Amino acid sequence: MRSTRLRLVLAAGLASALVAQPLCAQPYPTPLAEEPIPNVLVLPERYPASWMIVHDFNFNALVDGRGVVVDTNAPTAPLKGWVQVAQFGNILHASTRPELYSAETYFSRLARGERTDVVTIWDKATLKPKGEILLPGGKRQQSVTYKNSFQFTNGERWALVSNFTPGQSVTVVDLENRKVLGDIELPGCALIYPTGERGFTTFCADGTMTSLVLDAEGKLASSVTSTPIHDIDNQPMFGMPALVGRTAWFVTYRGQLRGFDLSGQVAKEVGSGFTLGGADGGNPEWRPGGWQVIASSAAGHLYVLMNPAGREGSHKDGGTEVWVVDPAKKARIARIPLQGVGSSIELTREARPRLVVARVDSVIDVYDAVSGTFLHSLGNRVAFNPQTLTAVE
Amino acid sequence: MAQLDKWTETLARGIARSSSRRSLLAWLGGTLTGAAVLPVLPVSRAHAAGAPGAAGEARPPITSGDPQDPGDRTQCDYWRYCAIDGFLCTCCGGSVNACPPGTEMSPITWIGTCTNPVDKRAYIISYNDCCGVSSCGHCLCNRNEGDRPPVRPQSNNDYNWCLGTESSVYNCSTAVIVGVAPDRR
Repeated sequence: MRSTRLRLVLAAGLASALVAQPLCAQPYPTPLAEEPIPNVLVLPERYPASWMIVHDFNFNALVDGRGVVVDTNAPTAPLKGWVQVAQFGNILHASTRPELYSAETYFSRLARGERTDVVTIWDKATLKPKGEILLPGGKRQQSVTYKNSFQFTNGERWALVSNFTPGQSVTVVDLENRKVLGDIELPGCALIYPTGERGFTTFCADGTMTSLVLDAEGKLASSVTSTPIHDIDNQPMFGMPALVGRTAWFVTYRGQLRGFDLSGQVAKEVGSGFTLGGADGGNPEWRPGGWQVIASSAAGHLYVLMNPAGREGSHKDGGTEVWVVDPAKKARIARIPLQGVGSSIELTREARPRLVVARVDSVIDVYDAVSGTFLHSLGNRVAFNPQTLTAVE
Repeated sequence: MAQLDKWTETLARGIARSSSRRSLLAWLGGTLTGAAVLPVLPVSRAHAAGAPGAAGEARPPITSGDPQDPGDRTQCDYWRYCAIDGFLCTCCGGSVNACPPGTEMSPITWIGTCTNPVDKRAYIISYNDCCGVSSCGHCLCNRNEGDRPPVRPQSNNDYNWCLGTESSVYNCSTAVIVGVAPDRR
């Protein structure tokens, strides 16, 4: 009965339309073309240099975190698609294969049931999963996203996954052969900074750093622990550095810059470090602030997100300027005022790089990284909580 | 698990009665590496300020009714929240010291020391997380005084401390008084 009535209504509507507008008066004599179904878009295997991977941490639904593929040069439609990065997950973007990897955690009944930790392999073009590697033990570290809790080593053939139970360890994963190689126990040490050809460095609670070399089977071959180099009380370093070549530049809560050469098997500090300096307008003083607070350009300049209300406890509050520093000259070369309070920054690897700023209100703004000029905004249409930004190399 | 719960509670209350915050942290750092006493879900204040469920959202106040425990427990500036990081359980069906129905309280917590503005005592506050139900999404609050990088877990609020629970899925955070720091009374 209902369908008969619907047909009558549709027929009546069609008839009245025809009467009201005879074909001879139709300004568009050709109807719109029929469109194919199904129709699913595909991305290029190599992402353009203006694209970034934005990790949407999605605080309000942590089980539904996402790795969003974003064209920072397309303000009308920046969101290209996303892959799942579930439950305090991490995402890696490969430069040697058309793949993305997410380290994530699932429960069989969404928030309860059997736990599964997994590295999921995603096809960069289709954004569909093409494989997975199960992580044993239900111990994958769950924290607000630090890129350095999930990193490549061995020429992107392996990945390293941080664990926290709160006992600390790292799981070595063979991405090519899709299997777990084993665990490296790291009591008292956190985060992963790839070092040498096949190994990593980690910072430890006693202020030291340890560099580890892995053998061909992913087992620990050797390790070297430094003297204490990290004043965690007074000059704690933000966990995510900016890379200039294989030198990792860290910034401290109070604005010191320190470089560590990670090209050899053992991390070595570059020079003696230096301070970002001060500026007018600080109340009480300018300090780095935000989440991903330091970025680098291909030219080797460092960009640091700065908060004028710097004090103890302000280090995650975000910043209103980006200061540009030339580490070779140990000098600040520019200050870039922002459109809003930024929380994470990254530079594209375009010939003329753009500075991308994820703001505390989830808006993402784009600037010319050389001149500091504001170019355009992507609005808040990309991610609910854009936590980290990763440039496409 | 119940035994672990009881052990943790006894430990926390014992520590609270017998030590200052500084010595507590030193003790934790020195003896409990890899064990179990620490913080809550991490969230940047920046995000807290911008999120729809941020602690600044319009809602009627919820107070203790006791002049000795002043303040609105739905707001991030309530005195017990000096080192909290996450959704306030008071806004999530629970209370300042109880988890919402359906969740499981984490036995593993970050313990902060917060000064009561009325009686001027420094209280040991245990920020037990409530786990096993998806993110509450209301009253997000993050304060980072004393927060240090993940290399020092006992001083870092970026970790999810839904550990030792059946599910590691985070819902909200409580702020339970477990004692008074003797040297700061």
